[in-house]
Amino acid sequence: MHIPDGYLSPQTCGFFAVVMVPIWYKASRAVGKIVKSRYVPLLAIGASFSFLIMMFNVPVPDGTTAHAVGATIIAIILGPWAAVIAVSIALIIQALFFGDGGVLAIAVNCFNMAFVLPFVGYYVYRAIAGNVPLTSGRRALAGGIGGYVGINAAALCTAIELGIQPDLFHTAAGVPLYSPFHLAQTIPAMLFAHLTVAGFAEFAATAGIIAYLQRANVPILKINHVNVPVSDEELAKKRLGWRWALIGLAVMVVLTPLGLLAPGGAFGEDAPKDLDLSKYHLSAVPTGLEKFSSFWSHAVLGGYGFHSGDHPVIGYLISAFVGILFISVFLVGFIFLVRLIMGRRGFHDDDEEETEGAGAKPPVTA
Amino acid sequence: MAFDGVDSGAVAHPLGEDASSTSELAPGDPLFVVEGLRYAYLERFPALDDVDLEVRKGEKVALLGANGCGKSTLLKILDGLLFPDAGTFTAFGEQVTEDNLEDEQFAMGFRSRVGFIFQNSDAQVFSPTVREEIAFGPLQMGWPREKIDRRIGDVLRMLEIEPLAERAPFQLSGGEKKRVAIASVLVMNPEVLLFDEPTAALDPRTQAWLVELIIELNRAGKTIVMATHDLDILDAVADRCVVFSEDHRVAAEGSPATLLHDRELLLRVNLIHDHTHVHRLGNVEEAHEHEHDAAHHASQHV
Amino acid sequence: MSDVTVRAEEVPTPQWLVTGELALCPCGCIGKRKKGSFVEKTLSGAVGVMRNAMFGEDVAQQHGFLQRVDPRVKIVAFLGLLIVTAFVRNIPTLVVLYAATVVLAIVSALPVGFFVKRVWLFIPIFTGIIVIPAMFSFITPGTIVLPLWHWNGSPVGITEQGLTSAGLLVMRVATSVSLVVLLTLTTPWTKLLAGLRALAVPRIFILIIGMAYRYIFLLLNSVTDMYTSRKARTVGNQRNDYKEGQRVVGATAGALFGKAHALSEEVHMAMVSRGYAGDAKSYAAFTVGAIDVLFVVGCVVAAALVLGGDRLLGV
Repeated sequence: MHIPDGYLSPQTCGFFAVVMVPIWYKASRAVGKIVKSRYVPLLAIGASFSFLIMMFNVPVPDGTTAHAVGATIIAIILGPWAAVIAVSIALIIQALFFGDGGVLAIAVNCFNMAFVLPFVGYYVYRAIAGNVPLTSGRRALAGGIGGYVGINAAALCTAIELGIQPDLFHTAAGVPLYSPFHLAQTIPAMLFAHLTVAGFAEFAATAGIIAYLQRANVPILKINHVNVPVSDEELAKKRLGWRWALIGLAVMVVLTPLGLLAPGGAFGEDAPKDLDLSKYHLSAVPTGLEKFSSFWSHAVLGGYGFHSGDHPVIGYLISAFVGILFISVFLVGFIFLVRLIMGRRGFHDDDEEETEGAGAKPPVTA
Repeated sequence: MAFDGVDSGAVAHPLGEDASSTSELAPGDPLFVVEGLRYAYLERFPALDDVDLEVRKGEKVALLGANGCGKSTLLKILDGLLFPDAGTFTAFGEQVTEDNLEDEQFAMGFRSRVGFIFQNSDAQVFSPTVREEIAFGPLQMGWPREKIDRRIGDVLRMLEIEPLAERAPFQLSGGEKKRVAIASVLVMNPEVLLFDEPTAALDPRTQAWLVELIIELNRAGKTIVMATHDLDILDAVADRCVVFSEDHRVAAEGSPATLLHDRELLLRVNLIHDHTHVHRLGNVEEAHEHEHDAAHHASQHV
Repeated sequence: MSDVTVRAEEVPTPQWLVTGELALCPCGCIGKRKKGSFVEKTLSGAVGVMRNAMFGEDVAQQHGFLQRVDPRVKIVAFLGLLIVTAFVRNIPTLVVLYAATVVLAIVSALPVGFFVKRVWLFIPIFTGIIVIPAMFSFITPGTIVLPLWHWNGSPVGITEQGLTSAGLLVMRVATSVSLVVLLTLTTPWTKLLAGLRALAVPRIFILIIGMAYRYIFLLLNSVTDMYTSRKARTVGNQRNDYKEGQRVVGATAGALFGKAHALSEEVHMAMVSRGYAGDAKSYAAFTVGAIDVLFVVGCVVAAALVLGGDRLLGV
């Protein structure tokens, strides 16, 4: 997910730098309050931790690799603002000292992996975990799902940033100046790797660490969960079936916007991975302008005809935002559903981590 | 041996500089007084239970005990890093509490007068380079730049780590890291030096060097408090031993010679094992002749 | 118009196109995939990271041109050059810029073979692979220069626009990477940190970056140890890669976080013990000399020439 220099226009990098500066500022203020003077070594080690997690490149079935970020677990343990700082620093070290990810693109990479990821992951976790005790198995699961959703949200952002480049920045002759791929290619490419592998890596890292800390080191979990009761014997026994249903639901929730966002999804005929995603760009139309309008009309209007003269840039942005909006709506709905279910029946298990691992395996080993 | 080249004059220069601040107390005056100390981790796991201790200026005190008996915890309390659940800790005539240490004046004074060499040099050597590591303490004290640079130069020379000055910690060996950790504490010229398992995980040569250094520092007027379970160096590095039992209390107190011959006591606090104590004690008796010969012991236990 | 669309729908997307991720993310272990566990590969990659870092420190200690430039000046200048590189719109300009980085590497006593290899073997090879599809008309429509096949009467093939775009991307990435490698190879990283500090990056960030960098190596060792001991206890063949991955990521990460946290507590104590009270103070000091002025002037002139020349080339 690390975008190198050269793939993004300086304007895009500049824009995200302007976005990130206040976020970093707010993060450094917010963190100082939460963990006091201890936060320096804590954040430093959080950053090294994230750096290491990112080094573990898990093979994707298609022959490439993907990795977890570890942002969700840091957000859960130290709070999302602390995660912003820790992951940003890991990314800065990678860019500056190891040439991994661009230097101009630091702000963009930080936005995706150090801001979108921990915040989405953390709030999904919060919503699913609700008020269950700190040692409840539901927390580990909630963290895992948070990680899964978070990293896919970050991948989607990456795909959008890359995908808007060829249409925003090209020469008069239609030569893309930066990343040449369109949203229709970048979104499925990014989401494939993250839905199938990196998402589960983040899931396993987050849920695994929470489960480990629940057994071995509850005080660490208490850093950011001051008012949450540690255990609650009253909780009813949970049923295994619910967990599987939840995992399935989570996968579907994330898959849904993929189908919506990919241009083919508008036709609703093919499964997302069978779509021929490039076909809508296979026109021999010489100018970029007509190409934009083709995407715009397809994705949003769902018609077959090309219309020239629409506002291409706005069209792209709107389709991107519509995609994100869909994700949000589905997430909120999903979370609402989960809370409804969880509110009625308890959700507790002692050896959560065992089942978690099993839950994460099938799609990967398939 | 590494330390042989350093004459006492070289040692006295960097360490004797702040002599005025140490002159308030005469040798033999109590520096640290600990009374009725209790401490439990997470309010559940006891580490210290009703411990009394007095450390007098200029002496070398060894805290002895098996792993987990609470001696490291006691050192951390003596350094004002942890605060007791019950009991009092008085240093230099003033009680040390979390509140007191919030006071900048008091904290500065206390931090500069007490130095702590951690068991884990990796935790203690956290800066990007050796030079910056050594500069960390003095910078916190707000010393002028010149003084900091001079002190760093002196202490690098004294510990023979000048060539390492610009190195990063990951380029250092375990023994070198230990030297850097010691340098980073000595540069502030503290009156009291707390060592936590100083010889643990060091090669015999570095162990021997360290023992010499501790003796040298004590001769220069430093008070030494050391947690250890290395019985072989005890005679050289301690005037007085405090033995902790596994129920986190003080089991005995006395000179190394007396305590080391109390086999029943050492067995009871799990410091020695039935099969090994004869060897160990045999070596300890010859400690004067063989104190640097740690490899010898190691081979005996194989 | 509409017949174009119909034709377009029947062209299958190559599978490699929709699944390219590696090139976007050349992180950690990059290289040919060998038989064996990816975990092992990652760990050997980790050793490579360390070796690289140490090698970099050695090169940075040499007495070349860039090594003598003040780190603050260098950071600003290279950032400026990176931005210039990003704005360039012609391949020849990028080639000139890239050549300039090689010249700078030579005068800075960098091993040129290493410098060129590091840039071309590692990062842009993947960029190269990912831009191949971009050369075709189905990604980058335009004037077809090499028709490969026909579809409903219209040629499909490599377009001029696609070729230019691919060339631009590869050269831009190569030049950008070269600039970053030049900066990091000629600056000991502590000086780089100190330079950032002098450039208004908040002190607290610098302190955390410095510490994080330092502990990456320590934690890396812990991971290696944990993995080795785990492997030593494993009887028989390793289970398959993915399962092992799940196990390692889940179990090791938890233990690692516990270790990391305990370490951070200890580090905090070690800092407090030496007088730290939440406000870190910095040590480094810099002076700007003639060589720095020379370098800045050179960079500004070069930037102006490059951008001016680029405009002259048109587009």
